[in-house]
Amino acid sequence: MSEQIVVTVRLFASLRAAVGADRLSLSLPDGTPVGAVWAHLPGTALPGDPPAGLRYALNHEWTLPGAPLHQGDEVALVLPVSGG
Amino acid sequence: MILLTAESLDLVALVAAVFNSEHGGTATFVGTTRREAEQREVVAIAYEAYEELARAELARIAEEAQARFGAAIAIAHRTGRVDVGHPSVMVAASAPHRAAAFSACRFGIDELKVRVPLWKQMIYIDGAEEWVDGRDRPA
Repeated sequence: MSEQIVVTVRLFASLRAAVGADRLSLSLPDGTPVGAVWAHLPGTALPGDPPAGLRYALNHEWTLPGAPLHQGDEVALVLPVSGG
Repeated sequence: MILLTAESLDLVALVAAVFNSEHGGTATFVGTTRREAEQREVVAIAYEAYEELARAELARIAEEAQARFGAAIAIAHRTGRVDVGHPSVMVAASAPHRAAAFSACRFGIDELKVRVPLWKQMIYIDGAEEWVDGRDRPA
């Protein structure tokens, strides 16, 4: 059985509003892929699969859904952007 | 110069930031909150940033503008509430000649809109609020 780790999840825009927090701590097995974080978000406001176009950042840099998480990592769920 | 701020934007400061006596042209773009969106009346847009990555991505855009166009570029974007008619984003680009300055300025705003983790929340005159972040489009 994998060692448990604690990671921080950053949330923005409608995700932040739906969860009711801009950051969460999650306890997950070491090596959990970034793309699996969605399924661990709390609340009933986020049913089903991740939205189309969701991207991920790991420790403030872009990453891919398969990247493994380790103790103390910070992962951000980045919805399609709309600045400008 | 890369700036994410909850304060009013200053175009003069942005132009000064790209001043170079070897550059003969400076182009600027100012984006403002428009009163109408999809036939609804808007009173303001609220912007939220993933600040760490937004700053890094804006800095990369500036480096790319330098490499592609030989331009110096400065970009400033608001966070928080921006009322109708007020600027939410400014880009200034200077280059030896005007064509490269225009190209770099356009590159800056176009890349910002697709790459930089910033989101807008529309605030309508009827009090409704709506995030523009793709969550209404299922996978």
